[in-house]
Amino acid sequence: MDSLRIVPGREAKTATTQDTSNSFGLHDTLQYGPRSLAAEVSTNSNIKDRLENWEATQDNLKLQMHRQVFGLHMPMRLMMERKLASYNPHMPVLQQSNVHLDILMGRDETLDTADFMMPTSEMKQPLDIHADMEKKLRM
Amino acid sequence: METIDIARLKSGEVNLGTSIMAVQFKDGVVVGADSRTTTGSYIANRVTDKLTHVHDRIYCCRSGSAADTQAIADIVHYYLQLHTSVSLPCLVPSPPTDLIACLLRQTSGEAPSVHTAATMFQKMCYDNKDALSAGIIVAGWDKEVGPSVYNIPLGGGLFRQPWAIGGSGSTYVYGYCDATYKEGWGRDETVEFVKNTLALAMSRDGSSGGVIRMCVITEDKVERLFVPGDQLPKFWQGKEVLGYDSKKDADVAAAVAMAVDA
Repeated sequence: MDSLRIVPGREAKTATTQDTSNSFGLHDTLQYGPRSLAAEVSTNSNIKDRLENWEATQDNLKLQMHRQVFGLHMPMRLMMERKLASYNPHMPVLQQSNVHLDILMGRDETLDTADFMMPTSEMKQPLDIHADMEKKLRM
Repeated sequence: METIDIARLKSGEVNLGTSIMAVQFKDGVVVGADSRTTTGSYIANRVTDKLTHVHDRIYCCRSGSAADTQAIADIVHYYLQLHTSVSLPCLVPSPPTDLIACLLRQTSGEAPSVHTAATMFQKMCYDNKDALSAGIIVAGWDKEVGPSVYNIPLGGGLFRQPWAIGGSGSTYVYGYCDATYKEGWGRDETVEFVKNTLALAMSRDGSSGGVIRMCVITEDKVERLFVPGDQLPKFWQGKEVLGYDSKKDADVAAAVAMAVDA
């Protein structure tokens, strides 16, 4: 964590927890259906890892540089401000936007595909409020 | 099924096969580089500027992969600006206590030392050594030490030297540099040394060529020098053999003939 990595490195993944695991750590058949081979076999894809870890790596680089210049307190304060801004006491509803967090993360002036390609009125997802609240409160 | 291997993308990417050098003299440093950037055998840019400004009196020479060195130089440039914004000069009134105001303050802070810049380059090169191919020479002037030159070769080590050469063309001129360099030179002799060395490297190395760009960095200013391709110093070029006029140079012809018989 003390390193100044510019781009995500290639990590050898050995143990992974599935996305479909329930609180026992096993595959949740009731929610996701029977187990499938396609979901369980994991192929090492360099470009996929690189793209997935890109933003986090750039963010870590900036925080590490701030730590070197300003002192140990700086990344701590920045993370604290982000945590405070992301506090959301409401139930997970469809439309959520957090301008304060966007500004802190530096993406208030950027547009991503999700921002203009998916009108939220057409995005009908099954509202599993119980599962969403469970995930939220456990964090 | 072919998977894209990111590491293999490096072969054939834009390459700064190059000749770079930096020499320290009494009042400052002279940094110089050729101007050729190649993608395989195609010269992508024949007037490249490989001398990159990272701070007012600190420049770096880049060799290796163009993209890698540009990325590192950008990050170090950002870091040094951050560093300058925090380093307050002594005679400054009480700083603002508010965090944001502190960060936004554009004070003319103290310039960072060349050692700071070089160490930052070295940390980046070492921490990312599996993904980068970058050889960098950092040189500049600072108040604490005066002029200094730091060499950061491929593995990410940091070496302070009075003069440093790098890049693919440097291998051809190590002997010339060892034989010619003397301590205690002034500005003009050092510029001459850099110019001659780079001209020799460029004439032998296929990945170096074009024009010579130099920067003379002193306490007062940075002066950019430019030597176009037709004004490069010329060394032994050989002699024209075809269409040789024997009547004009009878002595030489006789000498050559005697040498052949003997």
